[in-house]
Amino acid sequence: MRLQFKDTLKQLAEVNDKIVLILGDVSVYLFNDFKEKYPERFYNLGICENTIISAAAGLSSQGFLPFVHTITPFITERSYEQIKIDMCYNNFGCNILSWGASFDYAWDGPSHHCYTDVAILRLLPGIEVIVPGSNKEVATLLQSQYDNGKTTYFRLSNNMHGVDNFSVEFGKGVVVRDKGSKFTVMTAGPILKNVLEAAQGLDVNIVYFHTIKPIDTDLIKEFKHTGILVISDAFGLYEAICEVPQLRVTNYGLPERFCCCYGTIKDMQQEFGLDARSIRKAIETCFTATS
Amino acid sequence: MLKACHSIREHILRASFESGQGHIPSCFSIVEILYALYSVMNHRPENPHWENRDIFILSKGHGSLGYYCVLADFGYFDIKDVYSFGAYKSAFGCHADRLKIPGVEASTGSLGHGIGLGVGMALAMKIKKENRQVYVLVGDGEANEGSVWEAVLVAVSLNLSNFTILYDNNMSHQRGLQIHNPHKHFEGFGCDTYQVAGHDVEELKKHVAIKSGTVKVIVAETVKGYGCKTFTGNHYAWHRRSPNEQELQQLLKELHAASV
Repeated sequence: MRLQFKDTLKQLAEVNDKIVLILGDVSVYLFNDFKEKYPERFYNLGICENTIISAAAGLSSQGFLPFVHTITPFITERSYEQIKIDMCYNNFGCNILSWGASFDYAWDGPSHHCYTDVAILRLLPGIEVIVPGSNKEVATLLQSQYDNGKTTYFRLSNNMHGVDNFSVEFGKGVVVRDKGSKFTVMTAGPILKNVLEAAQGLDVNIVYFHTIKPIDTDLIKEFKHTGILVISDAFGLYEAICEVPQLRVTNYGLPERFCCCYGTIKDMQQEFGLDARSIRKAIETCFTATS
Repeated sequence: MLKACHSIREHILRASFESGQGHIPSCFSIVEILYALYSVMNHRPENPHWENRDIFILSKGHGSLGYYCVLADFGYFDIKDVYSFGAYKSAFGCHADRLKIPGVEASTGSLGHGIGLGVGMALAMKIKKENRQVYVLVGDGEANEGSVWEAVLVAVSLNLSNFTILYDNNMSHQRGLQIHNPHKHFEGFGCDTYQVAGHDVEELKKHVAIKSGTVKVIVAETVKGYGCKTFTGNHYAWHRRSPNEQELQQLLKELHAASV
């Protein structure tokens, strides 16, 4: 997704001279071409996430379109107050693109794991929250949202769900599988890959979201008559879905504890029961209990 | 004390009395700084969004009532409107809001945000090659926030010669983490730093007008509550307190005595 971000940004910067890229000392080499081509629109401001957000808001106030990019927990959790006041309250629209979703930095431990970003950011009035699971989603949603005067958060990940055959439109959920079942799994972002593998042969509908805010409430309502199981490797999706009243909905995600082991993202998913095998068991258990 | 600064202080006292809100000693320490700045800055009160204007950000949000009274003095709005300060549905909140008040460029309140915002604005002007200036007023108490120093580091690394930090050294920091010799801190970061008598309008104006090759810092040596003996004797007791009628009369008497 980072490569797709680079390519899409390049295309956009060619046609829009208001775009400014601000890095927090991440992906610096990746954007060497951008730096050479647009030296006055490229700034690596170092590891100072609070100021990066404030400065991006200041640039926005003067008519620029800032793209801020650095590691997920630091640009979201550490800089939350700057995003809240300097960007959102002031109406200084910016694009924040984080890197390292959930357990992408598995080996770096709890400081680098980030699974609260979607949940906390979606609480801010006026913000848009996007959790892409494919390069197509990165490209399409960046193009459609980067210049709309709002703060838009893109949660970029190392991993992808591997499905490219559905259409992508901001704010629209996707019916990946409609079997007319009385059970529906709802999920978001790259973890769709595990969900698809887990649900093979099971009688369940699958609904997918790349846009968490605004969530596609119309689509959720279409499945209101079914039992819903939300599967996510981050907080925020379940809360967003639950804003639709009178659902029969169950959450399956992260437990109330830090993950203190290391290894790979696969190790993390196994630890938390988010690998395909564990998810299959969860779907079977949930829907057996509610049938 | 200049007549205008006396008048601004009188409005601060009366508006605080009317509303029951305000941080009067904090407002009193910045009256001359703001008056000098708005005397020198390029701005048009009748057209707050004039494209060639310089920009000011009040980072130390507690000073909002003083800021409003200065803006009113320069003609941004009627001073009578400010007397609704802090009231339900008033535009004049206890922290300045850019969406409600003409002339306010950024909504602040959480300390330690102003310099970072100013960095982005000054950088934007540099990119666009505009001959405009950005000024941010921070308090010494506020400078306990790490984001203040982080943003100074960035401002200097970007060599923002159109950026001025005004530092209200009114000894608020004494209650928290003390910052001794702040001018040396700013110098250490690479800023072009001046120590100025913070209630001397002419000195302040002279230093605001100085052109610099990099980030400029004016450390204004001020007195919290300057103008009324009651405040300067015990400004902590008055940090967030409004006078009753009897106290108002006493404070006005003290202000008048200090101004003649």
